Amino acid sequence: MTQRRKWTAIPGLLLLAVGAVALSAYSGASSSQNNSPVQPIAFPHPLHAAGNLNMNCLYCHNTANKSPDPGLPAVSTCMGCHLIVRADKPEIQKLAKYYAMGAGTPVPWVRIHKVPDYVRFPHMRHVNAGVTCQSCHGPVQQMTQVYQYSSLNMGWCVNCHVNGYDPREGLKATGVVDTSTTVTPDAERKRARYDCASCHY
Amino acid sequence: MIDSPEGAKPGVRRREFLKVLGVGAAASASACDAFQDNAGKLIPYLVSPDQTVPGVSTYFASVCRECSAACGIIAETRDGRVIKLEGNPEHPLNHGALCARGQSAVQGLYNPDRFRTPMIKTAGAWKAATWDEAIALLSAKIVEQKSKAGAAVFLNQHEGGSFPSFLDSWLSSMGMRPHVSVDFEADHAAIEANKRSYGVAWPELAFGQAKLIVSFGADFLDGWGSSVQHQLDFADARAKGAAAPRFVYIGARRSLTGLNADQWISCTPGSELAIVNFLQGRGTAQAAATASGATAESLTALAREIATAKPSLLVAGGRGENGLDVALGVAALNRSAGNVGVTIRSADAVLGFEGISKQGDLSAAVERMRGGNVGIAFVRGPNPAYSMASSAKFAEAFAKVAFKVSFSLYPDETTEMCDLILPDLHSLEQWGDSEPVKGTLGLQQPAMDPVYKGSRSAADVLMAVAKKDAAAASRFPQPDYRSWLIARVPGNTATRSTMFAKGLGSGNITRREMPAPSATQSATAAAATGDYFLVTYPSPTLGDGRGANKPWLQELPDPVTKVLWSSWVELHPETAAKLHVERGDVLEVTTSAGTVRAPALPYLGIRPDTVAIALGQGHSSPSQPTYHDGKDTSVQWGYGRYSRSVGINANALLSGATNSGGGSIATGKCSVTKTAEKVQVPTTEGSARQHGRGIAQAMHVSEIGRPPAEEVGHGKIPGAASHEFLPGLRSPVAADAQGELGAPSAKNQGTQLGMYDPNHPLGMAKRRWAMTVDLARCTGCSACVTACYAENNIPTVGAPWQNGVVYAEKRPGFNITRGREMNWLRLERYYEGADDGAFTENFEARFIPMMCQHCGNAPCEPVCPVFATYHAPDGLNVQVYNRCVGTRYCSNNCPYKVRYFNWFGYGEPDRIQYAFPEPLNWQLNPDVTVRGKGVMEKCTMCVQRIREAENRAALEKREVAADEFTTACAAACPSRAIVFGDAADESWTIQAHIGSERAYHVFEELNTYTAVVYLKKINHTTKAAAAGEAR
Repeated sequence: MTQRRKWTAIPGLLLLAVGAVALSAYSGASSSQNNSPVQPIAFPHPLHAAGNLNMNCLYCHNTANKSPDPGLPAVSTCMGCHLIVRADKPEIQKLAKYYAMGAGTPVPWVRIHKVPDYVRFPHMRHVNAGVTCQSCHGPVQQMTQVYQYSSLNMGWCVNCHVNGYDPREGLKATGVVDTSTTVTPDAERKRARYDCASCHY
Repeated sequence: MIDSPEGAKPGVRRREFLKVLGVGAAASASACDAFQDNAGKLIPYLVSPDQTVPGVSTYFASVCRECSAACGIIAETRDGRVIKLEGNPEHPLNHGALCARGQSAVQGLYNPDRFRTPMIKTAGAWKAATWDEAIALLSAKIVEQKSKAGAAVFLNQHEGGSFPSFLDSWLSSMGMRPHVSVDFEADHAAIEANKRSYGVAWPELAFGQAKLIVSFGADFLDGWGSSVQHQLDFADARAKGAAAPRFVYIGARRSLTGLNADQWISCTPGSELAIVNFLQGRGTAQAAATASGATAESLTALAREIATAKPSLLVAGGRGENGLDVALGVAALNRSAGNVGVTIRSADAVLGFEGISKQGDLSAAVERMRGGNVGIAFVRGPNPAYSMASSAKFAEAFAKVAFKVSFSLYPDETTEMCDLILPDLHSLEQWGDSEPVKGTLGLQQPAMDPVYKGSRSAADVLMAVAKKDAAAASRFPQPDYRSWLIARVPGNTATRSTMFAKGLGSGNITRREMPAPSATQSATAAAATGDYFLVTYPSPTLGDGRGANKPWLQELPDPVTKVLWSSWVELHPETAAKLHVERGDVLEVTTSAGTVRAPALPYLGIRPDTVAIALGQGHSSPSQPTYHDGKDTSVQWGYGRYSRSVGINANALLSGATNSGGGSIATGKCSVTKTAEKVQVPTTEGSARQHGRGIAQAMHVSEIGRPPAEEVGHGKIPGAASHEFLPGLRSPVAADAQGELGAPSAKNQGTQLGMYDPNHPLGMAKRRWAMTVDLARCTGCSACVTACYAENNIPTVGAPWQNGVVYAEKRPGFNITRGREMNWLRLERYYEGADDGAFTENFEARFIPMMCQHCGNAPCEPVCPVFATYHAPDGLNVQVYNRCVGTRYCSNNCPYKVRYFNWFGYGEPDRIQYAFPEPLNWQLNPDVTVRGKGVMEKCTMCVQRIREAENRAALEKREVAADEFTTACAAACPSRAIVFGDAADESWTIQAHIGSERAYHVFEELNTYTAVVYLKKINHTTKAAAAGEAR
């Protein structure tokens, strides 16, 4: 390589590399993993889904086991308790302001988990197959501010569909302490279809 | 499954909920805020409505108001928005089927040109107003008029049910005349003859019982009467094979109905009467033949056939000058043949056609307006300024009315002339009822909250006006029209709640008392002159023109000519040769009433002495239309953006005279001259001939049950209909999909590990999704095409502004002329016979729906460089949009040409080509990807419905049941020609069809192992016609 060529090629390649990094950072492929936006109301999952209350996820996200859409609690569901409970706290007052006795505006929660438009993700198929919520969403019961735990990339999806979902891993993710050292037998891992049209249509 | 909307309470922000979800989808991910707000917002309900599960559809049964028949519909709603209409399976008229126009009601609901608020015209300029202002103004104007009793006109689009009585009662409380119930599509002469002969406006026509069907210009498959009902029955009759009735069509032009006939007897327009007279035994065959231009032999044969084939069914359309006489004569023939009560049943009459005012009543109202004594006029629905013959000079008369009120949802020619616009709710947003047949009530209930809060039900507005008047208020004690209506529904709360769920109940509706008909205006038509007969007919897709603002209907090719986004003049190739005219040469057609210019379209199915023009296009346009700019919501007059600058209005050619049946005369005489101009007529058709390819196959009825002739040189062709539809199908590609071959590079190829694992624990390869299409049933109506557009978010591409920026040609249908249409399912029409283009009555038309054949051995799959199209283990040929890079190799290699490429960003809101301007995008099926620019797409066999059924079955811990679901095209099909199912499972209905002796694959010789099986059409031609004896 001549000197001259070198001086055009190297910066060129560098530029390409920088471009590739920028592109991959920008594109969906890199995912918005760990994204943790500030929500209009600082809803503390740990207070609700762990500790004394230890509420089931399905209490609020009540269609996750019967619809592709997991569902968000209606503001009235929150107010069912908070009309009385902790009604003096500033965050609850914010909530009450949104509710305004059923005539207000819904809370504009900032969405965190989203797959692209060309992907169909039916929650109920996963929930009913025994996949725990935490397997994908991470330890939400410990998150003071929810963040995106998994990458939601296709490789991440297919990994489970092909290699199978380990129910014990899923339980571990929910905080169940598993001290056994045996490996889950292959037959007990749950596999799923992985041809493109299962999700892309 | 069907829910009453009573659970939905006001105040629920269902719409906002989804709107913001949608915005989330479109939210741009700019680099800096990528970690904050790249996925949009999630908006919960404020108070969750009962019975609603986000992401799962809710269904509301209601009534279709797109024509007078009033079929039953089921509106599928998702998160508070209607996304699809299908027929109500329990409805006595349509039994679950729905025509293209009915399905397009959602594009009326979500029409981007709908009025957002009431509007008042002051000093010639329109100004948005509040409802309080508008109602106050209306009340004041009514009070002003009250002193002049009777000086009001109310033109209402005809509908059955209780509303007409309500309206009359309101009008009388205001001291006004009863309303005029207008239906420009109604065949008044046929209705009048039915009333006189059978006692009802529209008896049930039992095609299935007849051994012979004869139609005198009655287009019962495309718009004449209760088309869907007729079609269901006709298809059932024709599917009987050897026992099926023969069908003879008599008329100057073969319409869609005419093309479905086994024999066409061509006669000059208006001469049907001579034939009817001959059939009644008055006059000789020769005399009738001379008068009509038909042959004496065919008429004699017809007379003989009517005498022997009993029972038969004779129907007559009456749009000609002597329409009533023809229809009465045909009724007499039916009576003497013993058909009344057998194939013509008054007991099961279609009641939607009762109570249509005659054209004469409308003309009388127009004359009163012209007289200058009418102080106030109301228009709710019809558009007489467009739909009346221009020589009737409606606009001139209407302009003399001091105060004019329109309840129209959309801008149209009549509304433009009004002084006050009170936008009504769409039929999918408001309450109503119908009585489809005697004793059955159809309930029209809102399937969603109004799209625009600024529109209000006309009935509620009228009640609000009545409440301001002490005398009238006592007549309407109920708070709103809904309460008024429900109070009338017979039965108790329990029967009513069943009625809400099913959309159907039992009971009768007291119909309004019809005012005495006005004396029919004498037909003072100027003496018809010209060299050619002129036939105008309501378009099978656009009707009298009310469909022209719906892009699905504009983009739906005319079932006969396959022309779209255009008007055309049909003339026979012989005539064209005589005039030295080619397809696309602009012709000037002149009658004593007026002149229009439209491109010529040579058509085999029209007499050489006749030209024909469809009604429905040619709405007025603003002189400087600003095409599509999503943000601009100012009213542009005309009839909405999709009808602008498309075609011509053939009403300009009509005399405006009415026949003795009370209908306007649609035929006449004209002269035709060629102009120097030539245009390209947009069409989706490649060739009208099969060129021996055997795409649409047919067999003569005598061949049924006979073993097929031995094919020379062929053994058993693999892929023939008898071929086993094993799961995944046994073909090289499919076998690979089954994992039997494996990747060529794999060491253990042939043993395992192809694309799929044959020992997969979930048994992926159990099914083979397939489809059969019975061509003996298919009438070519094209309802399946619109169903496919609705289900699969297919963009329409023909609007003038949807062309590329490079070729900035603002011509409607330009993209179609470039072959850019996206019809996943197209309806092909092929001619057989009349090869030399000389006039003959003996040519046949074959209709065949053509969609992706889901080949087992698909030519598209191996040529894709990025594996974007592949074979799924359940037999589907799949297109993966996110893999596709747009090489279009697959389309080049597809022998069926069923793959469509997104040349422009039809799904991208920021582009000029955007096909779903707000709020049309509310209709988009959330289960189907909206495709982006540069990707290939095609029929998926409604894979989203397959997945939905699988998901539902999994939820209920069972297998998918046989015939549990079907594709959108099969669900809509009014002739039940399409059957979808699992060809690998014995219990599905499709099994019986695949084994039919009529079954064949298109291009079987290519060894594509298709999953779509066609059943040959059955012809019932007589021997003479089969031998090809031309006149």
